Amino acid sequence: MVGGERGLTQTMSRVKDFIYGLLFYDFTLYALRTRASIESLFLLVTLGDLIGLPIMPPYYSLRILPYVVPNIAAWKRRMLREKDLLETDVMGMMSG
Amino acid sequence: MNTLIALIVGAATFYLGYSFYAKRIDEKIIKSDPKKATPAKMYMDGVDFSPASRNILYGYQFKSIAAAGPIVGAITAAGLWGWLPALLWLILGVTFVGWVQDYSAMMMAARRDGDSISAIAYKLVSPRSRTILLIFLFLYLLLIAGAFGNLLAGVLTNPTIPLGITMLALAGLLGGQMLYRWKMDIAVVTIVTVGLTLLVIALGPVAAVQGAVKGFNGWLDALNANQPIVSLFDPTAAAYAGGFVNIKVSYVFWLTFVAVFSYLGAALPVWRYAQPVNYVGFWIMALTILGGALGAAIAFFVKPELANFALPAFKVWDAGVKGTLQPLWPMLFVTIACGAISGWHALVSTVGTARQLENETDALPVGAGSMFSEMLLGVLALMAVSVAGKGVGAAAFATGVGNFLSIFGLDPKYGSALALAAFVIIVITVMQLVIRFMRVALTEALGDAMPIMRNLHVGTITSLVCMFLVVLTGTFVYLWQLFGGANQLMASLALMLVTLWLVSERRNALYAALPMLFMYVTTIAANLVTAWNLWAGVVQPGLGKANYEVVVFGGLLMIAIALLLVLLALFIGWDAWQSYSRMKSQQRAGVEAPA
Repeated sequence: MVGGERGLTQTMSRVKDFIYGLLFYDFTLYALRTRASIESLFLLVTLGDLIGLPIMPPYYSLRILPYVVPNIAAWKRRMLREKDLLETDVMGMMSG
Repeated sequence: MNTLIALIVGAATFYLGYSFYAKRIDEKIIKSDPKKATPAKMYMDGVDFSPASRNILYGYQFKSIAAAGPIVGAITAAGLWGWLPALLWLILGVTFVGWVQDYSAMMMAARRDGDSISAIAYKLVSPRSRTILLIFLFLYLLLIAGAFGNLLAGVLTNPTIPLGITMLALAGLLGGQMLYRWKMDIAVVTIVTVGLTLLVIALGPVAAVQGAVKGFNGWLDALNANQPIVSLFDPTAAAYAGGFVNIKVSYVFWLTFVAVFSYLGAALPVWRYAQPVNYVGFWIMALTILGGALGAAIAFFVKPELANFALPAFKVWDAGVKGTLQPLWPMLFVTIACGAISGWHALVSTVGTARQLENETDALPVGAGSMFSEMLLGVLALMAVSVAGKGVGAAAFATGVGNFLSIFGLDPKYGSALALAAFVIIVITVMQLVIRFMRVALTEALGDAMPIMRNLHVGTITSLVCMFLVVLTGTFVYLWQLFGGANQLMASLALMLVTLWLVSERRNALYAALPMLFMYVTTIAANLVTAWNLWAGVVQPGLGKANYEVVVFGGLLMIAIALLLVLLALFIGWDAWQSYSRMKSQQRAGVEAPA
């Protein structure tokens, strides 16, 4: 009985995930992209020297540094990765 | 034949193909390893590279590959050659070609740091193959815009449809406002926007509404004394016997309506219009398809007369009329593009899903599972058009789905109106995104040489002008088959890359190489046949006639596109052969395979 209930819960969770992927996942990705682009801009202005674009005086960069340390690795990957024409904002919404 | 047997055949293909072929390739050749780090884990950036569960990705991948393609292709092919060739290609195509491409492209990208297909082409084949692939992509977008624009303008002249589609646009704007500006709950937004759209769609068949739209169309046509602007020979007219289609003012008006709808999608911020329209449209489509599928399954037991196929199983080997050609080989294989195999899937699989795989072992259920599921959608569309028996294309599909929905007590008149509206919604939501994509592609390609193309409105209007030019100069079937040609060539190129990747890793590449060769030869042949059809069916009859200058110009343009596609495919094929020979000679000389 317990095994049956667990199986049912598992199936329900899979169906929930499937519907989420079908209907809402592109909303999530869009929100994440929007947040990432604002964050990227902020980090570029404040810590641009980390990728060769010094914009702010180092004093302010150093003051901000402790707060943004967790985001730096992902930001550098986002900024320095080669982008493709296929990576447009509508790619996630397009259907075949 | 009836719907129940067709469903059983579809489900059995899914089970057997997935369990006994796809799983075997995954275990024996690709050897997916749950312990291997995926790009999502190695290069996590919180956005594009971010691990997601296999169930979420299955839903996401299915949504990205299954929309208008599997429906339009299946109903067009069934009308031309009968339901049997269409069904056979759907089940054999997906089993031996379709999932192979989707899954293998996904695994190839996952094993190559999440590279896109054009980046892989650059590295594995030659620098110019990347450029060729991007030209393919642009032509693919242009042709899909042309085919869908033609289809939509034709269907929108039906008086039951325009009101619902206008409501969809308004519901999209309202949805964006409610969700992002008023920060309302998604459930409330869904109930209000989807409910309103469904309500207005239901008003479509009401006599007063129909009369008003008919009157409006009549008034438009009277502007040109009810005379056609041009008449085009359409081999699919008059129940596929061939006949002339009149392009009147009302047709041009509804085409402009489609252009305005798409302009909003391309020019407004994504959250404001494109995304909510897509969301509302998806609900309408999902409800109709789900209802139709359930109705088809139980029709056999409840109303067997609705479950029997009325369309002939097989019509002719060559469905061409009056000097045009439609031989089963190669034309069936480009007419049914999605549903059996589609190049679009390789793009989605590489730049989208492959970068979000949590484990390598998820690629099989996500990539192959979604493709087999899409085949079922194609089978459903085929069933709908087969039980309807009469009518052409979208109208036959709507009649069939209307019959299935009538099992639940819905008046077939309203069921058909809902199905036709859902069909238009599927197509028009893709259309607006295609125009947005074209605008971005134009900016990327021409922005440096022509800075004015970077302007959002100039880019969008240029894309729409291209769409207009193509739509007004061709009949749907040629546009669709040319689009299918571009799409299937992209698929064979994706399979070519997979083959080269497998060879470079010294794995058995036969399971990808054989489908690649078949698709490559078939699609090149199909493009040449389409070029001939455009010459014999569009250009030649219009030469020297007054008012036909645009038709002739567009026909010649499409012939040029068909031949360009063939030429580019030959270039990339040659480069791939060179690359293959290089790899083989290196391997014979004992040089290590690249990591």
